Amino acid sequence: MSTEEQKSRSAEEEGRMIIRPYKLKVEGGNPVETVKAVCARWLKEGVLNAVMMPAFSRNGVAAPVLFSDPEAIRDSGVPFLPAMGVNTASVVDEIAFNPAPGVKVGVFLRPCEARAVVELVKLQQVVLDGLVLIGVDCPGTYRALDFFEVAGSDATSFVNRFLQEQDRYLAENRFRTACTMCEFPTPLVFDLHIGFLGMNPSEALWVAVGSEKGAELLKGLNIEVMQEPESRQKFIEELRTKRQMRAEEQIKELDKKALGPENLVRYFAACLNCHNCMKVCPVCYCRECFFESEALERDLDEVVRISRHKGQTRMPQGTLLFHITRMNHMMTSCVQCGICEDSCPVKIGLSVLFKKVSRNAQKEFDYLSGRSLDEPLPLVTFREDEFRTIGE
Amino acid sequence: MSEFEPRIVGFLCNWCTYAGADLAGTSRIQYPPNMKPIRVMCSAAVDSVYIVRALMEGADGVFIGGCHPGDCHYVSGNYKTRRRMVLFNSIMRSLGLDQERVLLRWISAAEGKKFADTITEFTEKLRKKGPSPFKTLWEV
Repeated sequence: MSTEEQKSRSAEEEGRMIIRPYKLKVEGGNPVETVKAVCARWLKEGVLNAVMMPAFSRNGVAAPVLFSDPEAIRDSGVPFLPAMGVNTASVVDEIAFNPAPGVKVGVFLRPCEARAVVELVKLQQVVLDGLVLIGVDCPGTYRALDFFEVAGSDATSFVNRFLQEQDRYLAENRFRTACTMCEFPTPLVFDLHIGFLGMNPSEALWVAVGSEKGAELLKGLNIEVMQEPESRQKFIEELRTKRQMRAEEQIKELDKKALGPENLVRYFAACLNCHNCMKVCPVCYCRECFFESEALERDLDEVVRISRHKGQTRMPQGTLLFHITRMNHMMTSCVQCGICEDSCPVKIGLSVLFKKVSRNAQKEFDYLSGRSLDEPLPLVTFREDEFRTIGE
Repeated sequence: MSEFEPRIVGFLCNWCTYAGADLAGTSRIQYPPNMKPIRVMCSAAVDSVYIVRALMEGADGVFIGGCHPGDCHYVSGNYKTRRRMVLFNSIMRSLGLDQERVLLRWISAAEGKKFADTITEFTEKLRKKGPSPFKTLWEV
């Protein structure tokens, strides 16, 4: 056994991620087609039975699509599509709850989606057996509707432009609110990682292997070992710093208008109690929600009693109860993808609120959602010698 | 105008704090009658929804009583309650809400005096703080 192998073996034993970097040569200056060709090859050779990646149809549908036909993937698949309508993790949750033996699906995931999948694995909603997690770089995404406006009908050529002129599109900053505050442009947990940030994607893409499953995908491909280019590290670091500053600014704005009981009521004033934010949330996983169960149903005399206490009461009741409780239930797993805000019919600023609340909450437990499969969820574990002042 | 009387909703663990409250009673230790006790099987059974709901509907404070760490009838319930309380407090702080209106205390079945003292102190503290702001907010 070589020293190299020994090193990675011990890393594996410790549960750390093994990362071996490679360079994927881009054919014809077209990174989107190159990645699709690779996927088509996986399907043709049976390395994967299906590939889930974002796609864009002639009828204007931009969504994650499960491809099993290599031709179809070349036709409508768009890797790196910077438009997000759903968090792919909530779809993974549906297809990977009961894995079938022998079925292997490669799933393209943005960093926030990959983090959500990790949380769902820990929440026992996703079984990794049949999945190969293919993480991609993500400098930010547009809301699906805005995307049509920005990109027009030819998604492939737009995405190629988008990859080549990263600076320009980052400066325009028409991204979803959550993306403008995102500190994670690269995935944290993956089997295979395909990246382009801070590189010239018309020449080469960056590929990193995070597991044996990922290594298998690379067999027979035209790749060579490459150290991570310094330009890439620098680009990502700068992007992170910028985004962190933007997050601080937005949280400061939030603090001006949302803190304290009265401001909080005002912040949520328009809430319809539609629970969309909960339904689209990838980590709000309960198959039956407490808030949609009979537990909170009330009889007439109860409602009247409550009304009598304050002299009057808003109907329907409990919008703030819903939001604060939801925070208590899922803040430790929140990946700040901001899909909740996109789905809100009355445009409540949930992205920045959840950014602040979840970050503070996770800090208490020295936890970061989706960072690792081995870190237990904060609320299912404990140490006897911690938080001694609470309750004493 | 009548003086403000805090209204406290108390969740008492069946195995320790409820028995502690019982001991306070049988030992005839005086404490303010402001807390309405609700007997629960474990402090960890108190989901945050019940705490928030009590506060939203007009309670001035919420008290949760559990067994001392290490003494849980269900082995680790109270350790988990403790973590949940850390999370709850963090969320209250992040939202600019008063975390001192929710109190968690470990009180064993033998600590009738501690139970009475805790309720007395908490009642006085809330009396000083005044009514919960949610008491008058009908729009929550």
